[in-house]
Order: sequence, then structure tokens, then C-alpha cells
Amino acid sequence: METQEDPWQTADGMARRLTMDGLTRLDTAGQVRAALATGWSSQNGEHRWEFRIRPNVHFHDGTALTAETVAASLTQSCRSGACPWTAVQAVGQTVVLTSDSPMPDLPAQLARAEFLIAHSDTQGAPDGTGVFQVTGFANGVMAFAANDDYWNGRPFVDAVELRPRRSIRDQWLDLSIGRADLVQVPPQMLHQAQQQHMAVTVSEPVELVALQLSATGALANPKLREAVALAVDRSALYNVIFQKQGEITASLLPEALSGYAFLFAPDRDLNRAVALRGGATSSVLTLAAEDGGAELQLAIERIALNLREAGFRAQVMPAAQSGQGQPDILLRRVSLEETQAGAALNEMLESFGQHGTASGTDTAALYRAERDFLAGHTVVPLLWLPRAWAVSERVRDLRLAADGSPQLSDAASEDTK
Amino acid sequence: MSLRQKLLLMFSFTVALAVAAVGWTVSVRVRKVFERLDQEQTQVFVSQFRREFQHRAEDVTAALDRMAASDRMTRIAFDLSQGGDAAQYLTEAGTLAQEYRLDFLEIIGPNGEIVSSAQWPARFGYRESAIAAAGRPPFLKQENLPDGTSETGLFAVRAVREAGAGSAAANSGVFVVGGTKLDQEFLADLPVPAGTEVYIYRNAGSAFDVRSLTGAGGIVADAAKYEILIDRARSTGNDASGPVYLTSRREDSVNATAIPLKAEDGSVMAVLVIANSRRGMVEVQQHIRAIAYGVAGGGILFAIAASLWIAARISRPVERLAQAAAEVAEGRWDTQVEVQAHDEVGALAESFNRMTSQLVEQRERLVQSERVAAWRELARRLAHELKNPLFPLQLTVENMVRARQFAPEQFDEVFQESTETLKAEIANLKAIIGRFSDFSKMPKPQEVEIDAREVIRRVLALYEPVLKERDHPIALREEIDREPLTISGDADLLHRALSNLVLNAIDAMPEGGTLNVSALRRDSMVRIRISDTGKGLTPEECGRLFTPYYTTKEYGTGLGLAIVQSVVADHGGTISVESMPGAGATFVIDLPGIDHPDKDAFSTGADAERNHEQ
Repeated sequence: METQEDPWQTADGMARRLTMDGLTRLDTAGQVRAALATGWSSQNGEHRWEFRIRPNVHFHDGTALTAETVAASLTQSCRSGACPWTAVQAVGQTVVLTSDSPMPDLPAQLARAEFLIAHSDTQGAPDGTGVFQVTGFANGVMAFAANDDYWNGRPFVDAVELRPRRSIRDQWLDLSIGRADLVQVPPQMLHQAQQQHMAVTVSEPVELVALQLSATGALANPKLREAVALAVDRSALYNVIFQKQGEITASLLPEALSGYAFLFAPDRDLNRAVALRGGATSSVLTLAAEDGGAELQLAIERIALNLREAGFRAQVMPAAQSGQGQPDILLRRVSLEETQAGAALNEMLESFGQHGTASGTDTAALYRAERDFLAGHTVVPLLWLPRAWAVSERVRDLRLAADGSPQLSDAASEDTK
Repeated sequence: MSLRQKLLLMFSFTVALAVAAVGWTVSVRVRKVFERLDQEQTQVFVSQFRREFQHRAEDVTAALDRMAASDRMTRIAFDLSQGGDAAQYLTEAGTLAQEYRLDFLEIIGPNGEIVSSAQWPARFGYRESAIAAAGRPPFLKQENLPDGTSETGLFAVRAVREAGAGSAAANSGVFVVGGTKLDQEFLADLPVPAGTEVYIYRNAGSAFDVRSLTGAGGIVADAAKYEILIDRARSTGNDASGPVYLTSRREDSVNATAIPLKAEDGSVMAVLVIANSRRGMVEVQQHIRAIAYGVAGGGILFAIAASLWIAARISRPVERLAQAAAEVAEGRWDTQVEVQAHDEVGALAESFNRMTSQLVEQRERLVQSERVAAWRELARRLAHELKNPLFPLQLTVENMVRARQFAPEQFDEVFQESTETLKAEIANLKAIIGRFSDFSKMPKPQEVEIDAREVIRRVLALYEPVLKERDHPIALREEIDREPLTISGDADLLHRALSNLVLNAIDAMPEGGTLNVSALRRDSMVRIRISDTGKGLTPEECGRLFTPYYTTKEYGTGLGLAIVQSVVADHGGTISVESMPGAGATFVIDLPGIDHPDKDAFSTGADAERNHEQ
């Protein structure tokens, strides 16, 4: 298996997914299933939740999974980002999470990659209870072996080799010569992969490409932010840069998930953008792409051209300088893991620094919440993109999780590695 | 300034001027030679540049021709002309540009929109106007880049024909627009001679931007120094050249030529700057200047020697003549100069000696004639003075002779009267003779340091009662200096002289008036002024006033003012008279003063009299 990213990156690095479990998990249909928690219940109007920890589960180094290690892991997770709860406590074999506001989607939220349970082994390395365990790292290859004592049964695959930080071109070359069984296919290269007769597995749209606009500085005026939103030509991004993959959107949720995304018009209105800008000579807008990927860099340069057509003075910060200073407009790629509309909206809002309070299944209420948020024009959704993987002919029964990541625990290979 | 100094200056100036003129001429000539060499060098380099430019253009054209004829490109063109999805070729230009070693490449679809851009991938879908130049020779073009900058490039446009149609293939409507940068790599390939720098200014905007000037080594450190030349070339579209001073040192300057590189429409796309160092020329000029300074210094030394020699021949005799003339002016009329040469200066010396000899002779003749005139005047005065008492004496004696015939009583009476008259007239004769005797026996002054104010005050104190007691009183107005007026003099003689002047003033005012007496210091002199408000004197009278025995009074001897002048002259002073008829007369005496170091000893304090009237 080969990827471009850091395998241990906090959110959804592939090594984390292979070696760690969450208290809950989502099946391929997006339903919440038990994982390290055998059951859960809520009290006090969903302000308090109790999760019962699965007994007889051990980390790969032999340490027993306890409520205390779970609570410590969840507390550690909160240090790097926002958490829906305000306190975590280990009470006997249960972990109690409490919050000042209701947490209706907490079981689903705990299935996210960022809340996978881990502890530090004797050497200080992260260690989990996952279906695979790390056996070595040499010559840029991480080796994983099947966890024979996995609480949910041993996987079909005996071992996995992961080559991280590998370019797409090299991944595809390795796949073509049989050196790799599973490689990444960026959305904009799906067409190319198909032309090369690769076996490609594509997820539902799970990544939102959106502009995050600073509400201070040059774009402090909401009208200017609205002008920016109206000036962007989504169709050029969709048709050319991302090669007609995914879907054009002006919503924070995919149409299939929310059912109301069509109500947010993604059309470009250059005349109105020019009118809203008002002809004033604004200061230079700085634009940057979040992760510096080639397609996002190209997209932000295209958006800069769109803005110049609307009369803005736009300057794209080179990828190398994207981390220096806060740009006025940041092009981001945000993953969606939640499969329920309310939880998904909350997840997206939190991704953009807004505390999500949407709850229940009331579509109208969700629509209003999203509409109110987008009315501030601090976030401009552009495209929903799928995740795709190319697999070799030896791999059988590979399925993708709801967030588009491959579920290797259920896959098989003709000759076990 | 002496003649010798003038000669020295003139020689020095002449030599320095001549050397400066020669140095300047040579320096200008050198500069012109270097400038001509620079121009020739620039022309040669421009020719090389144009050849290299042409080679680059041919390279671009060849690369685009090969690209347009390649299977890959013709397939793309066919697909696009058949309505294929242009999006799939988004990165094609970047790949092709690398393959064909082009800096710029854009694939333009049949609708005239950019399908793929190597230099600005995000510009897909925008229209490209450069396809109008399809098939034409390569041209210069300004290409904007995503980071807001722009690059100047050498571009060509080629149409891509559809695949599989052979030589008769139809135009697909697809174009490739490609080019290479005119950048430092381009400059680095040029054969630049030593001492020459070549830069390219990419015409980025209306305002000069130092970052747009690049050389083979990248950004030019002194770019701002070329701004004027480059702007002139940009604005006029013609070559501009001139010196550019990179630092305050002249040797760090260049002769720069800015050559505009134009697009097809004549607009200036870039400016080629060729800078030839002036170091060699400046060093030659400095060498010439050093030689000139040396020659000028030697010339000035020569001028000094020459002027000294000429002075020995010319100016020294002239100086001796000038000195002799000054002695003559001081009164030594018998001064003679030595005649050493027989040239013009020698003739001048002989003439001078002849002149002084004649002056002495004439003075002696004049003295002789004046002496005769004085004796005649003395005789006339003596006759006049003596005739007056002699006539009564004669009458008295004749009367006594006639009285011998009278009765004794009458005779005694006449005799008594006659003897009285005879004694009176004889006394008168003695007085006349005494005055003449006094004038002839005028003593030399016994000079000591005195305060002239004291002498004046004594004279005024003597005559002050007389002024008041007259039938027509005379007012006295004094203006005496507050500080001591120290002079070297004989107080008695000065008292006598001043008394004479005061008496003359009193005699001049029979109907009364004002007597003004002042004594003030004028620089190193003490000036005494005695004025009356009488009827005044005519200019002729003023001219003869100090002549002995000349008088304007009915009974004067004409010796008073002569005595005054004699006393003043014996004290080293001068006396003059200022008068107009009807406006009174003023006698002005200037006596040499003494700056006494302890002048306070003579000070009379703050009680000096001023404008004291009676």
C-alpha cells in the first residue's frame, strides 16, 4: 500500500487507522457500531454519556485497555482540536463524557479518526489496539503484521507494507509493476486512471473544497466577502482542474446527505460581484492553498484570476509561503467522516472553527443553521470530492469506509503478505 | 603689487594656461577616441546580440514546428477539433514545454481559448490574442505570470494541422504559442568582451522598476543608476546613450547604451543595456592630468626664474627710478639715479636726472626771484612805514625853523609842541623798526610735551574780558576735546600765534559777532579752528594772506600771519584759511599729536567745555 501523506498524521493517517480503534466505528453503510465500547447510554438530555469499555482488550505491547487509558487518550485528543465534551472521567469500567450542551451525535463523533484510542508504549511511540500492529520501519517502508489477538477476529491479510510520502506517479508505477497492491488516485486523475485500465474504487463525496475567508483585514466588509463568493467560477474548477469528479456545491454537506444542498446556488454572478465590490480600490487580497497540493495551488490561482475579473487585486502566496501569515482567502480541503446530517453539519462547522449545535433530523432546522452560517460568507463551499484508490488484481473484497478510507481488515489477498 | 610680482603672475598664468589647454585638448581627444571605440564595440556586440536573437528565434520556431507536427500534438488537435474535452489536456503544455525546452507554451483550442498553459496553468479558458501572429516571424511579447510579475519572451505561433491528412492536412484551428525568456541565461550565452556588461530591462510597467533589470548574474545592484537612460529609450523608442556614474569615483563609471527591443506594433517590450567600463579612459585622463600638473609646476618654477632674471634687467632699474621719484616728491630735488644701461630704461634714468637737475636750478632761480621780490616788498613797506612818521618830522622841523622868527614866548610854545611831536614820531619810528627786528629775530621753538588745550584756554582767558567790554560784544563759542591734546611744542610761541589769530578775528568783527574756537583730535593730528563771523576774504586775499608784509588792514605790518605760519611750520604743522566774502573766515591749524600712553594724566575729566557761549 502506498500513500502521499504522513502515516501518523493526527486526523486520518493510514498507520493510525491500521493500528488503532475508536470507542465506536461506522460501518460501510454509515451506521454506528460498537468498537472498544461495548455499549453506551446518555443521561441528562444527552449532556452526559457513559461508554462501557470492552473487557479483555490489550494494546499491542500487552497493556490492558482500561477506562483510565481511554480517558487519557480522549483527553490527549482534545489538546490538538475542539472536542464536543468538556470533561472525561473514568468510572470503573466506564468512561463518562459530560458537556454543558447536548451531545446527541457523540457515539458517531467518537468513530472519527481523531478520537482513536492510543497510548504511548515503553519507547514513547503511539500504540493502539488495532487490527494490525507495527513490526518495523526500514528503507521508507512501514511493516505491519496481523494482530492475532484482535478483539474482533484476526484479519485475512497477514501483513501490510506501507510506503508513505510517495508521489502519485511512483505509486502508479509501483502498481503497474506489481510492487504495490493499493495506491491513491486523486480525483483529478480518476479519468486518467480509468484510461490506463486501473481497477479503481471510488468513495462517495467525502472531501469538501472550500474557501475560508478572513472576517478581518481586507475582507472585513461582508459585501466584499459576498462579492468574492459570487466571483468564483466553480464550473472551471470542477470541469478542468478536478476533471468532472465529485460535485459542484455551495453547501457544507453533500446533496445525498442533507437533501437540501440544491437550495444553495453555486452559480457565478460576476456582474453582481462587481456591483458589490462597489468600484472601491481595495487592498491586495492574499490567497493561499492549505496543504500546498498541486491541484489546490492550481485552483487557488484560478480563483485569483476570477477575483481579478471582478476587480479585486488578488495575489497568490506561493506554496512555500502559505504557512507565513494569515492569508485573506484560504483554500481548504476538509474531510467529512460523519454519516448523519446533523452530526456531519456539526463536524463541518467545527472544521471551520464554529461550534456546531445542530441536532436531530429536522432537515429544515439544519438548513436554517447552515444558511445562517453561510450568510456570513466566511466559508464558500466549492466542490465535494470523492476519495479513490486503485487496487491490484490480487486484492479481493476491499471496501471503503464512510470517510473513503480503505478497510483492510476485511480485505484479502491472493498471496498473503 | 610690484612689477616683479606682476611679471611672476603673468608668466605663471601663461604657463599654467598653456599646459591646461594642452592637457584639456589631449584629454578631450582621448575621450573621443575611447567613445568611438566604445561605439564600435557596442555596434559589434549589438550585431552579435541580433545574431543570437535570431538563433533563439529560429530555435523557438523549430521547436514549435516540430511540436505542431508531432503525433501527440496532432492527436490533441484532432480531438479538440472534434469537440473533445479540453480539460484532459490541462497539464499538457507543461509537459510539452519541458520536452521541447521552452519557457512558455500555451495550447489554444479551436475556439481561441487557452486549453493548457505551461507558464500559467490556471489561465485555461481565457482567450489568447497572440494567435493572430500565427505563421509570422518570432516576436517579442510580455507574458504575465501568476505571481503578478511578467517576463519578456521571444515568441512564435504555429497552427497545428489535423492528424492523418498528410501534407494536405487541414488546419485544425488549434495553435501552439511558445517562447523562451529573455533572461539572464540568454545573456549568459552572449559573448561579452571584458569590461562590458550587458543587461536586459523587461518592460514591466510605466514606472521604472529596478527588479526588472537583470544581467547574466541576476539582479543588477546599480539598476537605479540606469533609470534615466532606460526611460529615455522606452519613451522615445530610440537608442539612448551616455555616461553612467556608478559611484562617486569617476573610474567606476560606464558608457551605457540603451537599445529598445520592440514588438511588432512598435511598442517597447524590453531594453538591452550595454555598459562599457570607462575605467581605462579615466585612468588615461588621470595620467594626462598628472603629467599636466607636473609640467605646469615646472613651468611655474621656470616662470619664477625668468621673472627674477627679467627683474634684474628691467624691473630693478624701474624700481630705483620709482624710489628716486618718491624722494623728489618728499622734497629731495637733487636726487639722481645711476645709469647702468643704454637701453630705454637707461634713457629714462638720464631724463630723470636731467629733470631733477633742472628742478633744482629752477628752484634756485625761483628762490632768488622771490628773495628779490621780498626785498622789494620790504623796501616798499619800509618806505611806506617810514614815510608816514618822516612827513610830520619834516613839517615839525620846518615849523621850528619858521618859529625862530616868532617872539620868544611864541617860539618856546612852538618849540615845546614840536619837540613833543618829534619825540612821538621818533618813538613811532622805533616801534616800526622794533617790529621788523622782532620778525627777523623769530626764535626756534623749545619743544616739550604740552597739552594744546591749556594753551588755547590761556589765550581765551586773556581775551575774554576784551570781547565782553567792546561796544559791540563778541560771543565766544568753544569746543575743546575732553581728552588731552598732547603735542610737542613751545607753549609761548603757540600762545603768541594763537593770540595773533584771535586778535585778527576780533579786528574782523568791528560790529560784533561770534568767535568760534575748537580743538579736536583728528587721527594722529590735533586740529585747532578759529573762526569769525566777519566780512570774510576774497580768494585772492586768501592766496596771499601768509605772505610777509601783506596786509588787508589799514595800519597792519603784514607780519602777524607770517609769524603765525612760521610758528606752525616750526612745530611741523600746517595752517590754512577757509573763507568766502561775507561768510567770515576760519583758520585751521593741524599740529602733529602725541599718543601719550598715560593720557589720563592730561585728562581734565568730564568737565571739558563744549559750546560754551558768552
